[in-house]
Amino acid sequence: MTTSTENRKRFSIGGLVFVLLGVAVVSLVGVLLHHLSADPQKPLYATKSSQTISIDGKDYAKASAVLGVYPDKATAAEHGYKSNNKDWVQYGPSTHLVLPAHTYVTVTLHVYDSGEALNHAYFGKVVGTVGGTMNIDGTDVTNIPYDQVQHTFTLHGLPTSTQDPLFVNVPLPRVATDDKDNFLPTKDAGTNYKGHTVTFSFLTGGAGEYVWNCEYPCGDGTYRKFGAVMGQLGYMSGKVTVA
Amino acid sequence: MSNHDHDEEQLPPTPGERFTKVLKGKDVQQAFALGIFFTLVFVVLGWKFYPKWMPTIMSTDMKSNEALMVAFTYISAPICGLVLGMAAYTFLQRQRGDTPPEDGPGIRTNGPMVIVWTVVTSLFALLAIIWGIVELNVGSEAAAAEAKTALVVNVTGSQWVWTFEYPAQGIETNELNLPIDRPVIFNVISADVNHSFWPVQLGVKVDANRLETTVVHTTPTRLGPIDVKCAELCGLYHAYMETGGNIMTTTNFDNWVTAQGGHNA
Amino acid sequence: MTTLDHPTSTRPIPNPEKSLITKLHMGTGMVVGAIFAFGTYFWLRSGQDMTVAHNVNKVLLISMFMWSLGFLIGIGAFIGPFRWLIGKDLTAEEQLYLAGDGQGVSRYFRYCTDHKVVGIQYLVGVMAMLGVGGTLAMMIRTNLISPGSKFVTPVIYNSLVGLHGITMIVAMIVVATGPFGNFILPIMIGARDMAFPRLNALSWWVLFTAIPVLCSAWFLGGIPTGWTAYAPLSVQAGPGMNAFVATIIIFAVSTAVAGANITATVVTMRAKGMKWNRVPIFVIGATISVALAIPAFPTFMVSMIMTALDRTANTTYFDAQFGGSGWLYAHLFWIMGHPEVYVILLPGVAALMEIVPVFVRKPLFSYNAAIMGFAGIAGLSVLVWAHHMYMSGWLPMLNGPFMITTEMISIPTGLIFLVILGTLWRGKPWMKLPMLGVYAFLWNMLIGGVTGVYLSDVPADNYLHGSMYVTAHFHYTLMGAALTGALAGLAYWFPKMTGRMLHERAGYISFWFVQIGFQVLFLGMFIAGAEGQPRRVADFSAMYKYSNMISTMGAYTIGIGMIVMLWAVIHSWRKGAIAPINPWGAKTLEWTVPFPVPLENFDELPVITSDPYGYGRSK
Ligand code: HEM
Ligand SMILES: [Cu+2]
Ligand SMILES: [Cu+2]
Ligand SMILES: [Cu+2]
Repeated sequence: MTTSTENRKRFSIGGLVFVLLGVAVVSLVGVLLHHLSADPQKPLYATKSSQTISIDGKDYAKASAVLGVYPDKATAAEHGYKSNNKDWVQYGPSTHLVLPAHTYVTVTLHVYDSGEALNHAYFGKVVGTVGGTMNIDGTDVTNIPYDQVQHTFTLHGLPTSTQDPLFVNVPLPRVATDDKDNFLPTKDAGTNYKGHTVTFSFLTGGAGEYVWNCEYPCGDGTYRKFGAVMGQLGYMSGKVTVA
Repeated sequence: MSNHDHDEEQLPPTPGERFTKVLKGKDVQQAFALGIFFTLVFVVLGWKFYPKWMPTIMSTDMKSNEALMVAFTYISAPICGLVLGMAAYTFLQRQRGDTPPEDGPGIRTNGPMVIVWTVVTSLFALLAIIWGIVELNVGSEAAAAEAKTALVVNVTGSQWVWTFEYPAQGIETNELNLPIDRPVIFNVISADVNHSFWPVQLGVKVDANRLETTVVHTTPTRLGPIDVKCAELCGLYHAYMETGGNIMTTTNFDNWVTAQGGHNA
Repeated sequence: MTTLDHPTSTRPIPNPEKSLITKLHMGTGMVVGAIFAFGTYFWLRSGQDMTVAHNVNKVLLISMFMWSLGFLIGIGAFIGPFRWLIGKDLTAEEQLYLAGDGQGVSRYFRYCTDHKVVGIQYLVGVMAMLGVGGTLAMMIRTNLISPGSKFVTPVIYNSLVGLHGITMIVAMIVVATGPFGNFILPIMIGARDMAFPRLNALSWWVLFTAIPVLCSAWFLGGIPTGWTAYAPLSVQAGPGMNAFVATIIIFAVSTAVAGANITATVVTMRAKGMKWNRVPIFVIGATISVALAIPAFPTFMVSMIMTALDRTANTTYFDAQFGGSGWLYAHLFWIMGHPEVYVILLPGVAALMEIVPVFVRKPLFSYNAAIMGFAGIAGLSVLVWAHHMYMSGWLPMLNGPFMITTEMISIPTGLIFLVILGTLWRGKPWMKLPMLGVYAFLWNMLIGGVTGVYLSDVPADNYLHGSMYVTAHFHYTLMGAALTGALAGLAYWFPKMTGRMLHERAGYISFWFVQIGFQVLFLGMFIAGAEGQPRRVADFSAMYKYSNMISTMGAYTIGIGMIVMLWAVIHSWRKGAIAPINPWGAKTLEWTVPFPVPLENFDELPVITSDPYGYGRSK
């Protein structure tokens, strides 16, 4: 009888150890995947300023952020940005923006890529910014031709009762290949091309998590050019935390 | 074990006698009681829970969808009750032990039972089929009737944003606002991979395919916010391919159209 | 591992010393496979612009197939045919060696033609795949524990869902026909081996080569498409998709070989006197299942070949702009996809039907109804595929006809219920572990079936299609019914396959953890679906908070239960109580042979005079 109780005890202890081991293995996989899911870059915090602005009779604090769009690593490097690991077109210095809540946020984008046509012309329109406009190299515009686009900054999220809706779409004008001052970066181009500077402002609501992505087909040559870079995080898509 | 075993009687009983005998059996009565219990569980599920779980009914289609789910739950309740009642009864008869127990009655089949069972399940299937076909017809007839007065919305899915063009109003937006009580026709298309247009509270759904317009229609019947989701996995931000909108009074809708720079039609 | 050893054979142990076959095993297979794969990779890659997706796809796909081919060459899969071709067929001694005679544990790592070895190989392989798929499921549920959870990125989440799905589907297709169909089925019909023992080994090792290919998806960036791999998303997808495509093509070869083999075995090798109405019901169910796979799977293979061509040669089969169509893919996929769910379900159900009479000690109720049920399901299942496409916009006119065929399936399914309930009725079930599975099956299949009827009705599908409700529905059938059936089969045949009894207490604990966790998990998912949460979403709005949290708790409970199950299997296999020849008092032939089952199963082939369900006091 003693041996059988002993056996049973040994069985139970063995089982318990096994279950714990199993849970540990599964958790380890979880830790690994979580580790691989870290933000590709450090988040970029918008710079808050002490100024305020009044819109529709309400006062908003101001904040700003500066980003670049670089066609490749070399261009990024010339502009002092150590780019994400693949030699792909990308936003920098970060694809994760952290913005203050209930604030007038101004984003400045320095953009250096060429471009062609959008898959869906809607994204040639400026949507969701203050005044419905953006500013390209000093000129306010409400849209650009759908075949003159290099990338878009399209911000959206889940409609949920616990966070305010936020939708912003800004098309970025392409750098034309026939523009002398503004030719595409080539190996010996140095830094004498200017690209375009786009600024736009929008109002954030309460705290929430949003995502943004590019709507210009800048992926590899697969179906509708939405492969490769368009399917990975950290280049042409990212998130926006309103805190 | 054999107190209700009519096989062992001396005179062969008539079918009627056999039937009443079966009904009087302890097994049948207990299984029946259990069956009633399970039936009630499913009835309550259909009566109380589906309407609670499913979102606010905001269109004609959503109404018929929910009605169908509730009705099917009622109809299937007695079937579930029967199966689970029988199963639960035999479960209560279980025995333990380390060696195979004594054999039970050697019933190999029961012709009438097989026939009755098949007929009953066939009727259930038939009911479901007829119901579905009728709904399909009602739906398509309504569509034909409404086509003339309907509001047309051209829906485009792109990886990972929905946009809505109102051709008669000359506007294009990223939120889906609709006037109440006016039929609406959605022409759905994709700019890239497959998506599925799903205005949740309106209870309709159709895939967005590239270069193939698909059509779906409904009539909003209640004011309030709606969610538009994508119900077909479309890559990286499929989960975020959502947007909102509102069912509005006609006046509010017209004002909104004007504010968007469109004209009322 | 004494239990795995072959008994003291009376024959001299074959040792064809000079033959190459004695030198080959899994290790040599892996080495040759790796050489083939990496050799091809580096060789092809050198001449290509590897920044172009089409070239990357080409190189990866070819390398993956070369791995498979190399492995099979390295393990000696082609030695037999090759020797036959050059006119020097294998000698009797070599054949005995191939059958693993007297080789102990090492035969499990060789190209072994003994059907019992193949059965064990499948069993271990399937358990490994279920373990991987289950781990992925835990990751999915962890990410969905609360809205806005950032446990994994959407890229990884999409891969988790897709690879969980395909890993589970592959595992479930072979979960019963692999281990039991190979180990038990030939003994059940009184055969000495399968009809084509070498093909039998081939089917397993081909499947084996698909496993590393599938795993490589993780190192190539994952897949964004889910297990359905819908085009054109699959054409757009990154290099990980190649792994999916290659896996399916390789797997389809394996199932074709296995299907042909099992069908041929049952048709031609039954014992004397085993007329069709005396065949054990598991054999019928398993055979209908594999026979159904034979016409069904090639369309999946074809759709994958087309995907591969679109991805490598820009053939645009699925690109509407150039005359292709995404609907074409959906059709090809579901023409396989719906029969496939029954390929998964039938063997599990058939195993349960084998179990019920034994533990209730009554004959199977209406054997004919059971066969009609299986045949009806198999027949109708090839006519219903477009019920997955009600909402695709493809010819809405045909939704009606497909709704009719789909709902007709509830009639043969009803027969299945009738057979099991009729057998239970007026019996006093001997409540052993396999029998618990029968009850779990009845409950789960009922819920899976009834919700399936909702989904098959177009108006309800309007709302439910593509939602979590669908996911909950098919888990009730695939996991709640088919996997439960297969696990009950494992508990039932474990003594015959390992010579030891499965630890009962651990089995009970595992059973209750898994089944209760299962109800909680998928009740939560039914609610989330009814509330309007789409399936395959990495994130969801806060209104689905509670249903998702409930689901995740249920999933963890299942996880623990499954680990206990694994413990029970491993422990019992090594140290369990020695099983008697016929612990359940069953009447099928496999319970007449001793353990370890001799190389050719029977000393003297049995002669059959009745079906194996002669239980009960006679009338
Ligand atoms: C531990 C048990 C399991 C858990 C916790 C689990 C959980 C899940 C979850 C959460 C999803 C994703 C739901 C969605 O967003 O659509 C899923 C998908 C899926 N599961 Fe499971 N599952 C389990 C077992 C199984 C089994 C045994 C099968 C057998 C075939 C299976 C087959 C599938 C399939 C085919 C999908 C769909 C994948 C896709 O959408 O592409 N699962 N499972
Ligand atoms: Cu871009
Ligand atoms: Cu989508
Ligand atoms: Cu189906």
